[in-house]
Amino acid sequence: MGLFDKLAGWLGLKKEVNVLCLGLDNSGKTTIINHLKPTNAQAQDIVPTIGFSIEKFKTSSLSFTVFDMSGQGRYRNLWEHYYKEGQAIIFVIDSADKLRMVVAKEELDTLLNHPDIKHRRIPILFFANKMDVRDALSSVKVSQLLCLENIKDKPWHICATDALKGEGLQEGVDWLQDQIKTMRT
Amino acid sequence: MSPVESGGDGGKWLDAHYDPVAGLYTFSSCVDLADLSGDGESRLVVGDLGSGSSGMKLKVYRGTALMSESTLLDLPAGLVAFFMDLHEPRIPAVAVASGPCIYVYKNLRPYFKFTLPSLEVNTLEQDVWQQVREGQIDPLTMKEMLESIRKKADVPLSVRSLRFLSLETEDMDEFVQLHKQQPIRRQTVITCIGTLKKSTADEDGVSCLVIGTESSDVYVLDPEAFIILSKMSLPAAPTMMDVTGQFDVEFRITVACRNGNIYILRRESDKPKYCIELPSHPVGLVRVGKNVVVGCTNESLQGFTQKGKKLWKAVLAAPITTMASMDLPTRGFQAVMVGLANCEVQLYRDKNLLSRIKTPDVVTSICFGRYGREDGTLIMTTKGGGLMVKILKRTAAFDDRDSAPGPPLAQSVRLNVPKKTKLYVDQTLRERENGLAMHRAFQMDLSRLRLAAAKAYVKALESSLTPMSSSLTEPLKMNAVVQGLGPSFKLTLNVQNTAACRPVMNLAISFLYDESLYRMRNPYMRIPLLVPGLIYPVETFVECTSDKGISDIIKVFVLHEGRSSPLLTAHINMPVSEGLTLN
Ligand SMILES: Nc1nc2c(ncn2[C@@H]2O[C@H](COP(=O)(O)OP(=O)(O)OP(=O)(O)O)[C@@H](O)[C@H]2O)c(=O)[nH]1
Ligand SMILES: [Mg+2]
Repeated sequence: MGLFDKLAGWLGLKKEVNVLCLGLDNSGKTTIINHLKPTNAQAQDIVPTIGFSIEKFKTSSLSFTVFDMSGQGRYRNLWEHYYKEGQAIIFVIDSADKLRMVVAKEELDTLLNHPDIKHRRIPILFFANKMDVRDALSSVKVSQLLCLENIKDKPWHICATDALKGEGLQEGVDWLQDQIKTMRT
Repeated sequence: MSPVESGGDGGKWLDAHYDPVAGLYTFSSCVDLADLSGDGESRLVVGDLGSGSSGMKLKVYRGTALMSESTLLDLPAGLVAFFMDLHEPRIPAVAVASGPCIYVYKNLRPYFKFTLPSLEVNTLEQDVWQQVREGQIDPLTMKEMLESIRKKADVPLSVRSLRFLSLETEDMDEFVQLHKQQPIRRQTVITCIGTLKKSTADEDGVSCLVIGTESSDVYVLDPEAFIILSKMSLPAAPTMMDVTGQFDVEFRITVACRNGNIYILRRESDKPKYCIELPSHPVGLVRVGKNVVVGCTNESLQGFTQKGKKLWKAVLAAPITTMASMDLPTRGFQAVMVGLANCEVQLYRDKNLLSRIKTPDVVTSICFGRYGREDGTLIMTTKGGGLMVKILKRTAAFDDRDSAPGPPLAQSVRLNVPKKTKLYVDQTLRERENGLAMHRAFQMDLSRLRLAAAKAYVKALESSLTPMSSSLTEPLKMNAVVQGLGPSFKLTLNVQNTAACRPVMNLAISFLYDESLYRMRNPYMRIPLLVPGLIYPVETFVECTSDKGISDIIKVFVLHEGRSSPLLTAHINMPVSEGLTLN
């Protein structure tokens, strides 16, 4: 850790990190982010996001600013305008939507091949969400279908989550925090 | 990262699902997509024809999984999802047409059964059954009587009588005993089904059912009371139909019939308003906007206006197995999908082939629309019972490969035409005012010109001044060529006998010229016998004796021995001798 980080830690100031939250519509992006926010700031009911919304939450050492993008087809072309600012990506997949796994893969491939992303070592956290649904795919199966093993030049991690109960989210966020810290030193 | 691309579709589609052994045997008319649970996720509803006469089922798919199935009593002829009431949540019902009935399912449970009104029964047939019931005739006599009725009656026999006629003699008694007590009914069956919005064009507006029957009728049914709102009749039994508009406002039903014609029914009339006569039988009917695209058995696709005017025709590579429309309102895209027997699905916008999809098996049904949460989903079932789901890529774009028909682009470029000048305007004014006088003057000059030409011609003829002889016995043609720079010239006269078969004899050529200017080697020559058709070159040499640089005319006469007037005359304008100074 650099001196400034230590200093900031002592003073209670936290590093700001911009995170992009991407994934198809209905995958649970907003639900996940809502769960990560402090309890008093959580929204009661979640509606499909229009365009995008900006949310903030903190971990032990970082202060996250999340761009919660809408996953609807007609808004997906907005994503790329925020790639430059993003320092990390959370990609959410609905593990129960087998039919649209190809669409998720297509969007992921487009993202990975975008000039603003392609040559950066930007960490990507995958949430294989809705694991509570009866015949949801396992996180292993999801990573197989998305061919995640082909991502060689970026750190990535996948966790199975249930955003309704909040299960699996912490593990993922901890990984992301570690990645961002190692990136900085 | 290898993007999932299916072979040969230009990378426009994502392969979402393929189950080659789904056991789905169906046609496009029995497939629909609808949000049956009101959760924003569309389901696939299929009327499965099963194999043979069993296994007919109503199947519902969610995503890649079969969600529910229920047995159908008869082969489905058509299936539609429609809103039958205004209840919330807005969940559509499913109507399955089979035999003479429509089975309506709500929340996937049987809800209502509508049966078509029965048809008029032949009175003679009724009498025959009456008699057999009272024991007055035996089955064999009945068979004879029914046969004769069948041959001459205008009202066809009931299914029961037809069944009876097909029986072996030993089975007849039992059949008669079993059925004779029941009244005779004659039923028609449904051949096709569609939906028609009742009074609003809203996506989730209440719709009427429109059904076509084997008895060549089209019925419009009220969705709530299931009473017949309207009955229209056609010249032949309908096989496919397309419905557009609203029942209370204005509608249009386009029906393809078994006589190979397409009829267009309108709200005002119970008879067809327009008729399209096709060169071969229709196998697919799809409406794109206001036009109708018809697929025919002669492997062609044809476009018509809503009034039946033919717009275009495209020739296909193989017979058509099925057709469906591809409508993507969010991208303003409309096209026609055509399944072909050569394992291909082709996409047409008007007559232009936009894209093709290779399939592992022949496709028997196509359905395009919103499935699950994806708007551009293509669902196909195959001959072998497979189910295939493809999703149109968000970035896919189709462009017409064929150039758009119509005037070339350059035609619409505006030319920089200069302003009209004062002179031009004055002239136009003058012409407008004195048109009559100018026309008269022109006519007068024209007449004079003709007169002058005629006079000159007559003069030439009279003095035989032409290089053509019009004499009937010696029709001759001649032309002269002068070669050389001077002072010596070579004069070649090409003489031809233009008669059909008669040769010309005893001809001679003589020249008349200014002897102070020219000297000629032989000014008088005999011409050999002229065989018809051949060109005879007659050559002589002319020497110019003057060094003044002047030239003159040499006259050539073709003469007939013993006649004083020449047969034809030619004037040769001699060129100026240029070689003299060198001499
Ligand atoms: N069963 C289950 N449902 C979930 C889970 N996560 C989210 N959902 C539900 O999925 C639906 C969509 O969630 P959202 O968070 O709005 O999805 P989104 O990705 O933000 O969608 P867009 O904003 O349209 O891109 C909601 O009804 C959530 O309640 C999960 O882990 N399990
Ligand atoms: Mg959202």
